[in-house]
Amino acid sequence: MYKWFVLKRVLKGIFTYIIIIFIMSVLFNTVNEQTMRASIEDQVRAESMRLKNMQPSAIQRYQQQRRDELVHLYRLDRPLLERILFRTWNTITFSFGKSTIIKSSRGDRDVIIIIGEAIPRSLILFTLAAAIEIAVGIILGLKKAQKPGGTLDRTTSLVTMIVYGMPTFWLAMILIMFFVYQLKIFPSAGMHSVPLPQGIMYLVDLLWHMTLPLLTLLLIGFWGVSFVVRNIVLSILQEDYIMAARARGIPEKRVLFGHTLRTAAPPLITISVLSLLASISGAIIFEGIFSWPGLGNLYWIAVQQNDIPVLMGDLAVTVGLYQMGLIMLDLTYGFMDPRIKVGGKA
Amino acid sequence: MTFGDIKYRLNEFWSEFRKEKSGLIGLGILIVALLVVVFEPLILPWKDANTRWRSIDYWQDNSANAPPAWMNAFTKLKAPVTMRIEDAKKEETELDGGIKLVTYTFDYHYTADKAPLDVILHITGHGDIPFQVAIERPDGATIDLAQRFEQGLSGQDIRLSIDNDGREAAFTFVKNYESQEALEQFSGKSLRTADILFNIAQPGMAKEFKPLKGTYKLIAKAMLLDPQNSDVEEPYIVVTGSISGLLGTDDSKRDLFSGLVAGLKWALLIGFLTSAISVFIGVMYGIVSAYFGGAVDSVMQFVYQIVNSMPVLPVLIVISAIFKPNIYMLILVMVLFFWTGSVMTVRSMALQIKEETYIEAAKALGAKKSRIIFKHMVPILIPYSFASMALSVPSAIVYESSVSLLGLGDATIVTWGQILHDAMQGAAILKGIWWWILPPGLLIAIMGMTFAFLGFSMDKILHPKLKTR
Repeated sequence: MYKWFVLKRVLKGIFTYIIIIFIMSVLFNTVNEQTMRASIEDQVRAESMRLKNMQPSAIQRYQQQRRDELVHLYRLDRPLLERILFRTWNTITFSFGKSTIIKSSRGDRDVIIIIGEAIPRSLILFTLAAAIEIAVGIILGLKKAQKPGGTLDRTTSLVTMIVYGMPTFWLAMILIMFFVYQLKIFPSAGMHSVPLPQGIMYLVDLLWHMTLPLLTLLLIGFWGVSFVVRNIVLSILQEDYIMAARARGIPEKRVLFGHTLRTAAPPLITISVLSLLASISGAIIFEGIFSWPGLGNLYWIAVQQNDIPVLMGDLAVTVGLYQMGLIMLDLTYGFMDPRIKVGGKA
Repeated sequence: MTFGDIKYRLNEFWSEFRKEKSGLIGLGILIVALLVVVFEPLILPWKDANTRWRSIDYWQDNSANAPPAWMNAFTKLKAPVTMRIEDAKKEETELDGGIKLVTYTFDYHYTADKAPLDVILHITGHGDIPFQVAIERPDGATIDLAQRFEQGLSGQDIRLSIDNDGREAAFTFVKNYESQEALEQFSGKSLRTADILFNIAQPGMAKEFKPLKGTYKLIAKAMLLDPQNSDVEEPYIVVTGSISGLLGTDDSKRDLFSGLVAGLKWALLIGFLTSAISVFIGVMYGIVSAYFGGAVDSVMQFVYQIVNSMPVLPVLIVISAIFKPNIYMLILVMVLFFWTGSVMTVRSMALQIKEETYIEAAKALGAKKSRIIFKHMVPILIPYSFASMALSVPSAIVYESSVSLLGLGDATIVTWGQILHDAMQGAAILKGIWWWILPPGLLIAIMGMTFAFLGFSMDKILHPKLKTR
């Protein structure tokens, strides 16, 4: 009954998202309404500028009328609870309104367009990093688990602990200082060269710009993954069926990759998605150091420009992506481990 | 649980912990860090770094972006180190008409290959006082640098910078040695006073710097026109060199070593408070959820899941941007996210303990729920949470520094993240000012490593299942 499991999990995810957005609407209500009133004033002023040949009193009357209309349109004259619910609904339907300062690359001021531009840029960076992290982490973890307590195991575990609390943004700063300004082999910032290269060179250029951000994420990321992989694989290697497989004379490589990894797949998927989510939850602002124009960089710009609508929209989208990641996590886990979708309880 | 029990358990724990080499290293670093915090007033080179980190005049005598003093070991041409000289020879002479002349003489041993950037005299004065400052060079020449008449003083600090106030005197001094043609290429403004004063007096000195090494005497004279009502005290000079302190200075002339020492206690406080409070809440939450079960459990699990499915840093950034919290509020907000960390493990362990016979016995004896929870469950489960407590310290420190990096930190304190924020603002990466970027992040990483060492070692001991692996 996998489809019921999927439906249940997705509905639960959406419900959680709605509740989180509601909490945030309550929390940030005052600021949101201030920004809205300010933008209404701007709009009214801009509209009355266009009016000509009118008495000052008539202009004032018109302004007041427009103001009331807009306040009514945005329901600022309604009771508090209704206002909050209205904002929650707007956020869930992704109508974030217009930004106060920030513009998209084409000059749009719709928050959803600004954020929509940033999403794929962040996703490509973080998913690519997570994919490489997992590949390297699994290989290293298997090697560690083969000889627990060996030199490789001990040294890499030590490095895991050394990088445990290392801030990603700081490593980014150091790498930029060394590779960009000392060795001068990577570009300092951004995603593309100007002018934009065409064809295959576009991809090469993108990769060239992406190398340093990727390297930063990897250097901190894969140690932890390999440490967890080691623990998972090690506990599986102690199972009886592994011993039986070895006794039957199955080559060690097939025992590792066939028998062990199949059993280890569900928890491995968990940690890979979790490490992706952890970088969204904890390292996203390192984009700002590289001026990588994704969601994390948007936080920097929005904070510096004090652009509240963009900040709110960015947060709502990040929470949404995080939520989607959690749903994906449970769905793949359920797919890989049949016990979960049948039993219902993990 | 009596005191003896605790002692026994601690002993048992210690005998295991002693075998963990990384744990001992972590403990060692932690003890050193705590000692630094305790003896901070003695260690701080700039005593008011905590309170006056953002005050401009407190740091004004330093040079901006100066590399660490020990960089001299790696360069051929030695640069002078910024130093403060308080030893002064004081002479008082009575002049005619009841006027008193106070003379302070400072000795500066100059051995570097480059000239200092500036020499600054500070003196606290009362009343109306004419000042005069002169410098006596090792070759015997004495140059009158500046004169100033200060009126109506009531304990203010008088600051005389020879770079500014002695420029004309230095130019006059050069005139004795340089030809007219050579001088025409320079105006009085393009010369640096200290480059002249510490130069060997010879033709061509305006063009080329050749250090005249030896002992310089800076002579400050103050005339007390009315000795009853006027006075001078606490004189000192600062020789501003192009390198400074243990870890150099930033572009606002602040001594970075002082900033890092001052930031240590905040890093520890943020880490300890956040992790201790949140782990305590998490443990209680897990136990209550497991013990009561049923509807209570369902509701509590739901709340847990909602909190757990929020990305911490983005929410933290937006909250900081909008409410501008101080450091304690920020810690509180972090606690609101961090408590979920230990809930699930505690809950599953509490579910097992709940079924033990001694809990049943306690219930049969009529023990209250609070007694069972606090007497029988909490003491068993708290030690297990120590590991997760240690392991959540680094993330608290990193989150705070991330928020500070965006410029949203508490502006009344100094934290490592704020120093990194200033470094970003000052384009330290571009300028290659590594002493501004490397140490703060390295300290954050070392703190993280310390608690990772402690946490992983405790984890091994407290969860014996991992030991066999």
